[in-house]
Amino acid sequence: MEASTSTHADHGAHDHIHPPPEGFIRKYVFSLDHKVIGFQYFFVGLLLMVIAGSFAELIRIQLMDPKGTFMSFSTYNVMFTMHGTAMVWLVTIPLVTGAIGNFVMPLQIGARDVAFPWLNMISFWLVPLSAITLFSTFLVGAPDAGWTEYPPVSLQQGVGGALWCLAIILVGVSSTLTGMNFTVTVAKMRAPGMTWTRIPLFTWATFSTALINMIATVALSAALLALFLEHAFNVPFFDSTRGGAAVLYQHMFWFYSHPAVYIFILPAFGVISEVLPTFARKPIFGYKMIAFSGLAIAILGFAVWAHHMFPSGLAPWLQIPFMILTYAIGIPTGIKLFSWLATLWGGRIHFTTPMLYCLAFLITFTFGGVTGIFLASVPADLHEHGSYFVVAHFHYVVAGGALLGFLAGVVYWYPKATGRMMSERLGKLSFWLFFVGFNLTFLPMHWLGLEGMPRRYASYEYFAKAFPDSVFWNQFETISSFLMVAAVAIFAFNILWSLRNGVPAGNNPWGARTLEWMIDSPPPYYNFKKIPTVLARPYDFADPLPYLNLDHDVDPYPAPTEAALQPARARA
Amino acid sequence: MAGQPTSSKPQVIAPKGLGPFFWPYTLLLTVISLVIAGGILFANLDWLLPGWSNPVTDRAGDVDNLFKFMGVFGAWIFIYVAGYVVYFAVVFRRRADEPANSIGVQVHDSPNLEFWWTYVPIVLLIGLVVMSTYIWGKIFFPTEAPGLTMEVVGHQFDFEYRYPGVATSLYSPKDEMHLPVGVPVRVLLSSADVLHQFWVPEFRVKLATVPGLVQDMNFTPLRTGTFDIACSEYCGVAHSKMQGKVVVESQADFNKWLSALKGHSALQGTVSLAKGDPAAGKTVFAAKCAACHAVGPFDQKVVGPGLKGLTDDAAHPNLVTGKAPTPDNIAAILENGYAGPIGNMPNEQANGLSSTDVANLVAYLVSLK
Amino acid sequence: MATTTLTGHAAVEARYNDVDPVYAETRDMRLLGFVLVLFSDCILFSSFIFAYLYLRTSAPVWPPFVDGHQLPRLDTAFAAVNSVVLFGSGVTMHFALENWKNLKKGAFNMWMILTIILGIAFLGGQAHEYLSAQMTWQGSAFGASFFTLTGMHGFHVFVGVVYLTVLLVQANRGVYTGSKYFGLTAGTLYWHFVDVIWVLLFYLFYLW
Repeated sequence: MEASTSTHADHGAHDHIHPPPEGFIRKYVFSLDHKVIGFQYFFVGLLLMVIAGSFAELIRIQLMDPKGTFMSFSTYNVMFTMHGTAMVWLVTIPLVTGAIGNFVMPLQIGARDVAFPWLNMISFWLVPLSAITLFSTFLVGAPDAGWTEYPPVSLQQGVGGALWCLAIILVGVSSTLTGMNFTVTVAKMRAPGMTWTRIPLFTWATFSTALINMIATVALSAALLALFLEHAFNVPFFDSTRGGAAVLYQHMFWFYSHPAVYIFILPAFGVISEVLPTFARKPIFGYKMIAFSGLAIAILGFAVWAHHMFPSGLAPWLQIPFMILTYAIGIPTGIKLFSWLATLWGGRIHFTTPMLYCLAFLITFTFGGVTGIFLASVPADLHEHGSYFVVAHFHYVVAGGALLGFLAGVVYWYPKATGRMMSERLGKLSFWLFFVGFNLTFLPMHWLGLEGMPRRYASYEYFAKAFPDSVFWNQFETISSFLMVAAVAIFAFNILWSLRNGVPAGNNPWGARTLEWMIDSPPPYYNFKKIPTVLARPYDFADPLPYLNLDHDVDPYPAPTEAALQPARARA
Repeated sequence: MAGQPTSSKPQVIAPKGLGPFFWPYTLLLTVISLVIAGGILFANLDWLLPGWSNPVTDRAGDVDNLFKFMGVFGAWIFIYVAGYVVYFAVVFRRRADEPANSIGVQVHDSPNLEFWWTYVPIVLLIGLVVMSTYIWGKIFFPTEAPGLTMEVVGHQFDFEYRYPGVATSLYSPKDEMHLPVGVPVRVLLSSADVLHQFWVPEFRVKLATVPGLVQDMNFTPLRTGTFDIACSEYCGVAHSKMQGKVVVESQADFNKWLSALKGHSALQGTVSLAKGDPAAGKTVFAAKCAACHAVGPFDQKVVGPGLKGLTDDAAHPNLVTGKAPTPDNIAAILENGYAGPIGNMPNEQANGLSSTDVANLVAYLVSLK
Repeated sequence: MATTTLTGHAAVEARYNDVDPVYAETRDMRLLGFVLVLFSDCILFSSFIFAYLYLRTSAPVWPPFVDGHQLPRLDTAFAAVNSVVLFGSGVTMHFALENWKNLKKGAFNMWMILTIILGIAFLGGQAHEYLSAQMTWQGSAFGASFFTLTGMHGFHVFVGVVYLTVLLVQANRGVYTGSKYFGLTAGTLYWHFVDVIWVLLFYLFYLW
């Protein structure tokens, strides 16, 4: 792993700078540059987020009225299915791995690109292809059994169900290739001197995520291939009248889909681990524990899948080991949480937009984690499964966790990617709108679920008879959700507006210490003219920067610049 | 704005101790957590979890105790974490007059702290595991024999209730499921088509109905009332309309209700087995038996055993009190049902078999060599 | 680095290392990447093997009944012969690569062609197995698992045969040298992978 410093600088593969790409198509459409691919993932992911989010708003509008007359039941069922499917596979995973993972990780390790740029490009293009396949089902009858598409009910759909399988297999190939690509990149392309215990924590997180991506996604492809074969060729994997088993699908599906949630969250954890030290101006607390607990979560995450199946026909004796392992995962997660708290202690905290997202993350993700404890206990889960309590839990950890971490990362690295600061005013506005809107929307779902409101219900009329307050709370949630819509709209506007009007950022507006901040903003296509040498971890603010052979002369003690400390002012 | 080497070494600005008013603030967080814990443990949370103050079933009280433990545990974690996030953000904020290169305390770790925040949660989680496992054991391995065994079959989009000794099935929402109070009940769950889930929130019971599988659910209702049943596993377009009601009543009322049902399905006299028609029996078999039985050797189990060669194959165990499967004994099982080590089979009334059907079935089964 | 005085294994190693460092690093990364892809392919097979194990162990009797008759077990003898053909092609592939490394191009070509022929023969054997099988893909969990798993494997063999043919053509066009032959290494690894999967499938369907 350790590359000797002198010979490596002479002979490294990554010392070879290829000529610049020529022509619009090569530069922006079929680009091999990880930074351009990161942008592509970002914009496609954001567009798909708006589409999937609109489906969610349609769901919320339906739920204003317990009779559920806004849409037909079958349209409603299609809406929650497509919302979940798109959000999981076409928004969250592409954004956290493909967008920020692609853009940032090679820069953090001092590489010129990822290990296999061609595969990276193919991974990207599979995403719009998968989205087109998925949305084409609207023409032939979209799937309606939820993003989990359990058979036998999912087999009652027509060709839409089969197309759903194909669409997700396509995006699964994209994920698997990205996972392999990133694993090899981090393993083989780090700058000289960057040992495993000097890697920045976002890269550590991306590496752990890549391992999961590479191993778990293929299991999903298998589950969906089996489902597709049953749809298209009547092959009886899940048909109990011919020797198949409905529960088998759940095992195959959740073996991937549980590790998938760690794909969502680990990169967000990585962002938190970068943003907190930079804006508290002190080292991350417990670097090794954070790095290794990420790996532990990735590995343990493969052992807990059946906690999604407690009431579903699992042999009772299997429930306890899965419960124990599910609780066990809380330990490394708790270690990270407490380490982040300790990182804040004794710091000099700058309340920039990325820091606000991180502080909010610490609160909402903890809340989501606590409700996870409620769900992990088998007897309690037998009450909560299939209710709004589950919906509340996963939105808290995914939207209140992964998404907040992702947004922190976008605002944090935007200056590097574009050379401009995002508007702090708009940034703070969209942050508060989102944070308030999110909590008001999803908090009441906890008690609605415990009271007995089932999920995936197009009409909750019977429940409203017993709990008339539920109508008020559902309407409250719907109104609050529009705060999130406003937040996303302002955020998107900020992204586009700041491209032209943001304050010029300079190379290191935040006074950060990882390698990506040592080069130009935006970086040249080759990233590093000379591959630097790394002497220590990047998080010691009292020490000079631990790098040799940088392209530019930099202040050995970078501090946040004027551009970062003031809110951005609009150009006249 | 490119980094000009200004090289002013950063200034560490350290707090005194753990921070201003750290311990009073911690005391405040503790008090808040205690108040919330007190609320969870002692307040009436019927609005949140109906039956909290007066459990509807035996297991509801246990499950609610779990909620109490997790609620207190979770509240403490959240109050402390969120509380310290707010405190640190306020107390350790950068002041406007600080130099741009002010930095915080450059501490990397604290083995002592890391020890406590690793092992205290482990101990708490072990406590949760133990409590959950104990309650799980009571739910899945009941010690009392059931006083009533009945069946619930999920359909798109209603629940079918089958009682012992009752000819026709009852269907939600038109019919209600009745249970006698204070009697341990065993509900056998299965599905005729897709996955459903039988959920009675106030009972704190839920289990899926799985096609091809029979799951059993054991509990004892402790008080009378009418309670909602909801399907909680997406099962198709009318999933949100698949509900029912379960009525828990005194044993006397329950018996009256059950006999009123049974009374409608008295046998219309008896028919001699000798007059049984195998062809008609085959039709009855396809309609009533094929869902659970295959025409094959005993081991070819669908839900119940295969039924080929009943009278010839010595491998068939003697099911009726050790007697060989003669036509009379087969008829007896069809009439009375079976409950034993290999499972449960409903009787003729639950299966809706008249005595003509029984005779025809026996003739058909005997003909399967 | 002079290789004229070295022979045998030492010469092979010397040639392997006598490449520019840029190529060496690229080869290193490609090898890791390829191995990781094969590993994820293992997961694909493992998932279906899990499905087969689940369905088989929860079935009351195996082989299961279809239309009142129990399905017969598969013909182990024929499959054993076919397996020998496939494992034989693994051996021939090994010799092909060894000969290439030792700069014996003629021998390489012969062993490579033999490997491809044996691969095609295996596929022929599988076709015969499919045509003479008593169960259908749709009829039972047995047919579902058997045809899907062996079909996936057969597809991998087919892709392998195509891949090896391409490698043979490339080798004869001078794409590979005595020092630079990553494509051939990858092809050999892939072919051995296909063999290992077959060992598992043969055991699971024919012996167990």
